[in-house]
Amino acid sequence: MYHGSPLLLSVLGPLTAIKIEGQPNHLLCSLVSVIADFICALLIRATGRILQTARGLNLKFLGLDTMLEDIEIMPSGDIAALVYLWNPFTIFTCVGFNTSPVENLFVVLSLYGASAGIVPLAAFGWVIASHLSLYPVVLVIPVILLLGYCPDTPPRKLFLQRDLQKTGAEGSTKNHVQHRPLTNKPTEATFFWWRVILFFMWASIWIAYVLILCAISVKEYGGLPEMFKRTYGFILTVKDLSPNIGVLWYFFAEVFDFFRNFFLIVFHVNILFMILPLAIRLNHRPCFLAFVYLAISSMLKSYPSVGDSALYLGLMALFVNELAEMQFSFFLFCGYVGVSLLSPVMHNLWIWRGTGNANFYYATAMVYACFQIILVVESVNAMLNHDRKIRKLCTTTEG
Amino acid sequence: MAEDKPKPRPIIRIGLFLISHSLLVSVVCCTAGVLSLLLLPVLGKNTYISENALMPGSARPMLSNDDVSEGERFMNQILRFDTMSTGMEIPEMITAHIMDLGGEVNHHKFLPQFNRFHPLHFFLGPDAGTVPENYSCSSYGINTVGIIRAPRGDGKEAIVLVTPYNSLKITRAEALSMGIAYALFSLLARVTWLSKDIVWLAGDSRHGEYTAVASWLRDYHTASFGDLKHSEICAASNLSEMKTMHNSFRHAGTMAAALVIKVTNRSTEFEKDALTIYAEASNGQMPNLDLINIVNYLAVHGQGYRVKVQKIWSLLNVWWLKSLGQLIEMLGKLAGSLNPQWNFGIPVSEYVECTATLASSLYNQALGVPTGPHGAFRDYQVDAITMEISPKFSSSLNNRQYEILLHVGRLVEGVVRSVNNLLEKFHQSFFLYLLTSPSRFVSVGVYMIAFALLVAPLPLVAASLFSDATKSNPDAEKDKYASKPASTLQPAPTFTSWKWLYAAKQVLVVHLWSAIVTLLPYFVDQIPDSSPTTKLSIWIVLSIITLLFLDSFSGSSFPSTIRSRDTEWILLKSVTVAATFIGLCLMSVINFATAEIGALLLVPMCLTAVPLRLDNKVNTLRALIRGACNVIFIFVGFPVTVFFVLKGALEGFDNMRFGDFWNWAESLWAWNSATYIYMCMVHLPCWVLCIQTLLHRF
Repeated sequence: MYHGSPLLLSVLGPLTAIKIEGQPNHLLCSLVSVIADFICALLIRATGRILQTARGLNLKFLGLDTMLEDIEIMPSGDIAALVYLWNPFTIFTCVGFNTSPVENLFVVLSLYGASAGIVPLAAFGWVIASHLSLYPVVLVIPVILLLGYCPDTPPRKLFLQRDLQKTGAEGSTKNHVQHRPLTNKPTEATFFWWRVILFFMWASIWIAYVLILCAISVKEYGGLPEMFKRTYGFILTVKDLSPNIGVLWYFFAEVFDFFRNFFLIVFHVNILFMILPLAIRLNHRPCFLAFVYLAISSMLKSYPSVGDSALYLGLMALFVNELAEMQFSFFLFCGYVGVSLLSPVMHNLWIWRGTGNANFYYATAMVYACFQIILVVESVNAMLNHDRKIRKLCTTTEG
Repeated sequence: MAEDKPKPRPIIRIGLFLISHSLLVSVVCCTAGVLSLLLLPVLGKNTYISENALMPGSARPMLSNDDVSEGERFMNQILRFDTMSTGMEIPEMITAHIMDLGGEVNHHKFLPQFNRFHPLHFFLGPDAGTVPENYSCSSYGINTVGIIRAPRGDGKEAIVLVTPYNSLKITRAEALSMGIAYALFSLLARVTWLSKDIVWLAGDSRHGEYTAVASWLRDYHTASFGDLKHSEICAASNLSEMKTMHNSFRHAGTMAAALVIKVTNRSTEFEKDALTIYAEASNGQMPNLDLINIVNYLAVHGQGYRVKVQKIWSLLNVWWLKSLGQLIEMLGKLAGSLNPQWNFGIPVSEYVECTATLASSLYNQALGVPTGPHGAFRDYQVDAITMEISPKFSSSLNNRQYEILLHVGRLVEGVVRSVNNLLEKFHQSFFLYLLTSPSRFVSVGVYMIAFALLVAPLPLVAASLFSDATKSNPDAEKDKYASKPASTLQPAPTFTSWKWLYAAKQVLVVHLWSAIVTLLPYFVDQIPDSSPTTKLSIWIVLSIITLLFLDSFSGSSFPSTIRSRDTEWILLKSVTVAATFIGLCLMSVINFATAEIGALLLVPMCLTAVPLRLDNKVNTLRALIRGACNVIFIFVGFPVTVFFVLKGALEGFDNMRFGDFWNWAESLWAWNSATYIYMCMVHLPCWVLCIQTLLHRF
């Protein structure tokens, strides 16, 4: 049963029907996934390049470049692209003909467009990604922050302090600093409203475009309301309770029917609750914020797949320099390996051998969710520690 | 993180405490693990009928003397065909008899399946099989399948009775088992209480009993007639004699249970007739314990049989087991005198017997090879056992046919009646258990403790080694610079928490190698006309070459700066231990018995591994003992050595050949045993990594 976008279906649908003699049935579709993944990796690499340049500029501005120049900076874009491409999860999604590579492609496209400052591209990626799987709609905040400010920087307060000191050394007054136009680094304090407005304009254009195309393609199947019900409604009401690697199916299989709506709201609001605090705390690092959002939504999604994990793990590798001091990395690695091996075995034990039961499999799903939580918590922790370290270095260099 | 805070949370403190005392904890845990394994026979519980609907023995047996004489006549009729020309006589005769009883019959033709090594077989279902290219019409086996439709059923469920016989040369014992089935069949065709269809499969075992049952089951469940399409050439010669109505495949719903009835001519040493139960299916899967329970209950209480399960006989005379049994008996008596409620002690003889049975149960499950034709049923989630009846001491089958027919017939009738009562599939009782005697078992909750204790030190030691390795670089702590990849010229940022990646890479390479080793037999097997010894030698040589190649290809795994040299083996050991832990846990889910035996070998080996040069440097007695232990563990841990030591212990060292290991491995993959994968992809890489740790250069 297909509950995805009708536009994607009109692209992929004919491919499923074509069969090459002597080859597996889904070869062409898998090929599409492979191509999507490849483009995705290239975009991640390009994003990594942009982030790295921005990082170098920022450090230079803070006067830390001389101090840190003997520290080797890893080419984070290349590493992230390789991590994404060689991730076994990515390979599995290609083999299993999942649509998540296509969804991932548009998410990354949107992030790339935003960090490169290409507003139409960012809007296009965001609209299509949200259209395909709904959850990337929360990425609107990191995209706006990316467009409004520049790509990831150390906390903005530092730049202000820096300015203050420079001007203070020159003998200017505090008041003067506040109003002084920041000529040497214009991006860090100003917010480009026009780019955000432009983004929303482009987004509405793309939304209208997508809706029109959808309306045309589902005209004889009940029109747009039916499409919303079958795609977004299907995602939000968790109708399909067949086992997956998420935690929702078991919960909604067990829950009493009259509580169902309540818990549906609870689970979905869970994602929304975390948006605002994280946005406030990490507003200077929009790309990292996007990674955190994606990780959280892949954990609480109604129908998660390993493709989602592949995406956020790939994005995490973009911050390899910042996360160098991350705790529990080995523990997390072992956990991911263990769970991804144990989960199919438990599934086999339950479904095929009949000696286990649903709890066996669900236990691995819960452990997987726990590891994802630890990953998010530890990476955010490491990122904040990194910012603290920079602040400390700033104050010491000032002294 | 935890060290920064003055007082971390209690759970973290407990974790840190355990990690800092990992040596003591691991010694205690391993000893406790081995001890609790030896205590399992004491901890076994008496079996009980868990599902109320079964109600065994609640009805009086209906099998009358008439049915028994009918069965005896049937048997004698079969025995008259001692020389067979086409192999069709017996099927035709059974067909005629079943038709007379009002049942449905069909013949199922099948070809033997050649078990070639194919890497994907392990992951595919039982459907995968290759049909040999060259076959002759006479090589077909013909199963005869009779079905009685239940008067009170809806045809959705069935109970299967299987009697294998060799159609080329039928023995008296096989004929007797067919007689039993026929006597039952003639009874069940008349009774009114039947609510599940009865299927009688007279399996042609000329290609082996398992093949006959497995190929019938495959066609039953896939609804394809795989082998029949190959038989079109033979149709003219052979099938024309059969009536066409017997060729259409008949179905009778899902199977609730299956009983394989066999009679042997070997008499037991006991005063009673004996019934041996075989239950192990592929990969250590067992039928639901309730099935064994009802058979055991009805055989002991209904028919006065002596019920046996397999045991390892050579263990019965082991002195240390006896003295351990005496110790346990003494402790039990002591505890009983202190508090009469503590009656855990069991007599020595019972302890030794239980241990021998448990060892056999473990061994058969660990091997992952089914112990009889019942194994084929488990692949389709049908609970099945083989019942083998052997006559009592100093009596033969010839003069006691009638008696055996009556007793076994009534026993099977009782079992069928119980299973007939079932409303659902067998689900109430255990699927995961080890038998210590026919009426005692150790459930998963108990035997897991032994395994859990054995593997518990692994994550602890991995964590403690890991924290040692990250802390032991004081320079790195101080100036935040540490080792870096040799390829880059500038100093790297610390990446202290990512240093394990190099060790992980090395472990990954070894595991990659092990995957290649697993697949090598596929190519080695295709070398024509070579003895097992040559094949095994080729396998080993190719493996070593691949390892050397991969090692040089992946380059030096660690950055070549001097500073990281001494922590490098610690990290490597830590990652190895973690990988072994994951592998063992995974295997314990797939096949517990393999994981348990594997853990006994692997855990001491990878916990003690320390570079020999380090021991050499220190040169104390403790280091010397540790080095010696390491070498012994490594020597014993090699799969080939394990095999020969076990084989020698069980069968004697007299006629052992080098090629036996190849034959053994071949049998493992022929039966799609996960033990083969475990051996090659968990045990072997761990062994190699331990050797790498031992031979580590500073």
